[in-house]
Amino acid sequence: MSVVDQDVFRDVRRGMVPAHIYNDEEIFRLERERLFSRAWLFVAHESEIPWPGDYVVRRVLDDSFIIARGEDGQVRAMFNMCLHRGMQICRAEMGNASHFRCPYHGWSYRNDGRIVGLPFHKEAYGGEAGFRRKGQTLLPAPSLDSYNGLIFISMDPDAPPLREYLGDFAFYLDYYTKQSASGIELRGPQRWRIKANWKIGAENFAGDMYHTPQTHTSVVEIGLFREPKAEKRKDGNTYWAGNGGGTTYKLPPGPLEERLRYVGYPDVMIEKMKQQWSADQLDVIGRDGFMISAASLFPNMSLVHNWPKVEDTDDVLPFISLRTWQPVGPDETEVLSWFAVDAEAPEEFKKLSYKAYLMCFGSTGMFEQDDVENWVSLTNTAAGTMARRLLLNSRMGLLEDGTEVVAPLTREEFAGPGEAHVGYGEYNQRHLLARWADYLERPVDEVGHVEVSGVGDDGEVCA
Amino acid sequence: MSVETTAPKAAHEEAGAKPTGNGGPYSAASSLGGHAPTTQRIGRSLPFSDPRHLDAHQWLVDEAYVLDAQNYEEWLDLLTEDIHYIMPVRVTTALTAGFDSAPGMAHFDENKYSLRRRVERFATEHAWTEDPPSRLRHYVTNVRTFATDNPDELVVDSAVLLYRSRGDVRAAAVISAGREDVLRRAENDSGWQLARRTILVDDSVLRTQNLAVFL
Repeated sequence: MSVVDQDVFRDVRRGMVPAHIYNDEEIFRLERERLFSRAWLFVAHESEIPWPGDYVVRRVLDDSFIIARGEDGQVRAMFNMCLHRGMQICRAEMGNASHFRCPYHGWSYRNDGRIVGLPFHKEAYGGEAGFRRKGQTLLPAPSLDSYNGLIFISMDPDAPPLREYLGDFAFYLDYYTKQSASGIELRGPQRWRIKANWKIGAENFAGDMYHTPQTHTSVVEIGLFREPKAEKRKDGNTYWAGNGGGTTYKLPPGPLEERLRYVGYPDVMIEKMKQQWSADQLDVIGRDGFMISAASLFPNMSLVHNWPKVEDTDDVLPFISLRTWQPVGPDETEVLSWFAVDAEAPEEFKKLSYKAYLMCFGSTGMFEQDDVENWVSLTNTAAGTMARRLLLNSRMGLLEDGTEVVAPLTREEFAGPGEAHVGYGEYNQRHLLARWADYLERPVDEVGHVEVSGVGDDGEVCA
Repeated sequence: MSVETTAPKAAHEEAGAKPTGNGGPYSAASSLGGHAPTTQRIGRSLPFSDPRHLDAHQWLVDEAYVLDAQNYEEWLDLLTEDIHYIMPVRVTTALTAGFDSAPGMAHFDENKYSLRRRVERFATEHAWTEDPPSRLRHYVTNVRTFATDNPDELVVDSAVLLYRSRGDVRAAAVISAGREDVLRRAENDSGWQLARRTILVDDSVLRTQNLAVFL
């Protein structure tokens, strides 16, 4: 039985959030044990490792993984720890290598994880009879799967298929990651550490349209956007579908093409979107007039789409960013923020979209800066004794008896799956935390050990 | 075996070698750097007594005070219209990898338009990340100046340590970086302006909540 008061989970489900969950050692311990050990977690995109031998090193909390493309073209995720003495074998963040060699005793592994070099195998171990090298590999991530080139791993060997985990959120994920048959290419990530709890960013991107008029007034005031008012967002909707949810803007009237042009997409890209997306996906924009903006996939991956001015003209240009809120501790998060762009986009578009990203999001982004200021402050305040008394009201969009302030959009009003509401509401934050509670309440099964072979072919343990 | 009769050259002076520390191909390699001056250093660093070095050093120190005071309007006047201001994302790579920054990505990759927007934002009453303002101190050191093939342009290396303290709860943030600047003589001989700045941060993971400040 956990020492975390079970009332926490009951309270978040009714939208009353105990403030201390944003800075609490015990909660963080449970998140490590029960959430990050089971959920699907984004680690890399295939475009980051296009060629055989390409690799990136990514962490899941304290566990380091090498995400590498082998000579056979297959992508693998391997625990970055030498089987012999546990040294981290790859200490670079990215590169291209046919082998990884441990600096400690020289054990070496092919980029598919197989041991190929074990110095003095015969003299030290008596060869295969003492240490069976054949068939030994670095520990693979227990589960690995991908969607639109997005590579996810799970520490749970019995994780459901990723597609099932995404559920109807995949419908929305396509807008960001599949604008043409080639999908996106990723650049980055920018990495920085913020003294904020990881959940705040995930909640904010999932559904917080209410903060925009206050937090982000400055970018509107300097004319970075075509919309003259920051509260424009309340005409959009928030949707929750499958394991994720997000926010949208309401576009001005007009057919699909005109609306996509309005956010700055050139016709050559619009044509590809029309071929790529389903009738329902196109209807969300062309018929219903909603354009995707920020979103979060549970637990800690977020996306954003926006369209600022990147030059002294009236033209705007859209960008996409993909990011993870990588927990470091209860009060610290490493942000990994990538710039994403359709691989088939014209070069000039890629260039200006990159500029739009830098101006708005990432370590120097004018949007992101003001967000993080709030999150750091919230995390500080959540550490204290008084925060243990306070239940934050996260019931926006609900009356006291639980009925909704505005009815969900019908299929005739919104062609996307899941449940969507126009206007301000904290539906998605509640969904996200309810899911969080589901994981934290459920104890994990005992995890078996993986024994590095000291066993000979005859099955006897060598002394 | 031949006898070396001259002093060994610094690594960056070898033909084709990447300059050590601060310069490198980052500005020219950026997709947004096409407009930027590509002026390169020539020869060894100028003697500290050289008037050009004294000018450049004083310029950097004066600029540091402008940045510490967050007098950003004044800072913009110190920049040329064709400035390229780039801070690549440093990455940890194997010794032989041949690169040390994330391809196609930077923290800052700015021209005058985007820098002006950033400065304008601070002039609004809603740039919360600097309200209350950080207390800043730019420590500028290891300055050396190089002539170029243009008598009106100098290349200047420096090291900068930025101390940024916010509020009264959290520990301060420190950012260490090397810089390579191109200074150009301003029109009417009214001093120098910054035409290109490459900031090579020494962290792959920044330990500050954002870069709402300039280096």
